[in-house]
Amino acid sequence: MPDQTVDRLLQRLRRLADGPARWIVLAVAAASIAGFIGAQRQSAGVTYGRSPSTATVTEGSAGESSDAVLPSVDDMKAMVAAQPIVRLPGAVAEWDQAKVAAAIGGTDVRILVAPPGLTKDQQDKVRAVDNATIRVLGTRVSGGMYQATGSTPLEWRGQFARNDVTGLLVELIHALRKEDRKGSGEPTPADDDPGLWRDPTEAEVATVADGLRADGHYIATGATLKAVPAEAAAQAFGDTAPLVVALPAQPRDTAAPSYGARLSTLFPDRPLIVMYGAWIEYHGPHAADFAEITAASFYSRFGNQLSTYAHPQGNVLGAYLALVTDVRYAGLFDRPLPYQPFDPLRVALPALPWLFAACVVAFLLLSAAALPRRHPRVALAGLASATRGGVPALLAGLTALAVEVSGLTDATADPALTRAIASLGAARDALGKGLPDQHVAGLLDDAERELDAVGRAVAVRGYRPAEYLRGRLT
Amino acid sequence: MGGAEGARAAATDELRSVWVVSAWPVWLIGVLLLVAAGFAATFVPRWRAGVRDRAVAWSGARAAIDVATVSRDAASGRVAEADEFLARAEAIAAGRGGEDAAREAARCAREADRLWREAAGA
Repeated sequence: MPDQTVDRLLQRLRRLADGPARWIVLAVAAASIAGFIGAQRQSAGVTYGRSPSTATVTEGSAGESSDAVLPSVDDMKAMVAAQPIVRLPGAVAEWDQAKVAAAIGGTDVRILVAPPGLTKDQQDKVRAVDNATIRVLGTRVSGGMYQATGSTPLEWRGQFARNDVTGLLVELIHALRKEDRKGSGEPTPADDDPGLWRDPTEAEVATVADGLRADGHYIATGATLKAVPAEAAAQAFGDTAPLVVALPAQPRDTAAPSYGARLSTLFPDRPLIVMYGAWIEYHGPHAADFAEITAASFYSRFGNQLSTYAHPQGNVLGAYLALVTDVRYAGLFDRPLPYQPFDPLRVALPALPWLFAACVVAFLLLSAAALPRRHPRVALAGLASATRGGVPALLAGLTALAVEVSGLTDATADPALTRAIASLGAARDALGKGLPDQHVAGLLDDAERELDAVGRAVAVRGYRPAEYLRGRLT
Repeated sequence: MGGAEGARAAATDELRSVWVVSAWPVWLIGVLLLVAAGFAATFVPRWRAGVRDRAVAWSGARAAIDVATVSRDAASGRVAEADEFLARAEAIAAGRGGEDAAREAARCAREADRLWREAAGA
């Protein structure tokens, strides 16, 4: 019987709707909205993965100060006035004298070269020497309103691997003289002479390779690297620890050994990092994918900092490895990500809208079921309550009484009978329209009162409604 | 190179974002439905009760007018006041007002009925 099943289902639904189920469902819906809105904050950062790197080259308290001692401002002014190029003690910047002299030409250009790693106050003192045309702080070249910065890997390699500022100086001198270099026909100075790099000798390669095989890193005398930052290295290259070769900055005028290519053939599948001073080269797997972009990003971001201060190589390497980690997590080159813990919220989130939708539907159903019924059962007073068939039976009984008694009435009882019939008609209409039983019963009460008067008026007994109905209906 | 892998990851990401976007209407429609349900849950029973009460009131008023008409026909003489009352009740009924109008019409009709019955009994 499908009808019965539906009926029983509706009954259960109504019983459920009268209980607290409706409000529980509403609370769950509200909670899922709150969860959904709360989770929006977490999906705002769209990344391939969350990079764990934190290291950057930070200002101060990282060992980047050189503790150099400067002469007083007046002394420096006197020195600059005395000769066109002044090198303060500890200065590292070098340049090709001939090229710079050619760029200067006959003009009066005075260059003050300060050591790297000065404090802010010391830098202000150097800037206060206003008769110097060009200031070189470490390898940072500035003068007038300008500051010259490298923008290609070759320029950066010259600046950081060899402290060579020739290109920067020439560029700045041209800028200060407001000359259009292209118009002058003079060729752009080579930033870094390729001839000054040479293949390493077998003995050199053997020394470095032995160090790498033994410890995984080789630190030459004069290099400022203390130890390879282990955690940053592990994050940057996954499970394989990189081999690190640390060399001091190379002199500008003699050819320096270029280890990268030779070593990468000896250790083909290991990531290999070669440092010359603050310059870092990567050789090894996926080099084509990320080495260049990482170097460009690293030196354009930290070049100012690295050139002004005397950072130990450990700082530089840490920042570089952090950047490699960032690049890897950005998905720019393909390496497996480390294990990421299971996040139940991420997994549950897609189900939330449908849980919410289900709650809404349940709430709607329960609310509809909880609406008051069209004809609530109301306890009736008077005769209707005593009559088994309810209001319709009472109407039928009174109507029958009115018809029967109509033959017996006289002129005094006629108005009452007519009034009773009018009330009965109104009651019949109301019942037909589905008006509440209480109202119909009220109309029937009026009719009953009139009929009672008629029943008392007629000579024959047994026509008063109470007596008449007792015989018929109960 | 893991180009395929990367492409797959990108596609998954894109799909996920599309999916998330397509889940928005669920929230919107759901919230609108909840608000509508809240209004309906209050409004529907009231409206239903209002309709029923008006029907009840008019049913009672019409019954009272009918009864009063019968009493008028049964009365021996004219009662001016009662005539006035019944005319007023009928005028209100013809105007088809709300529940208050129906109650007023019923009151007038009952008053007229009482006057006529007194006249008939006297």
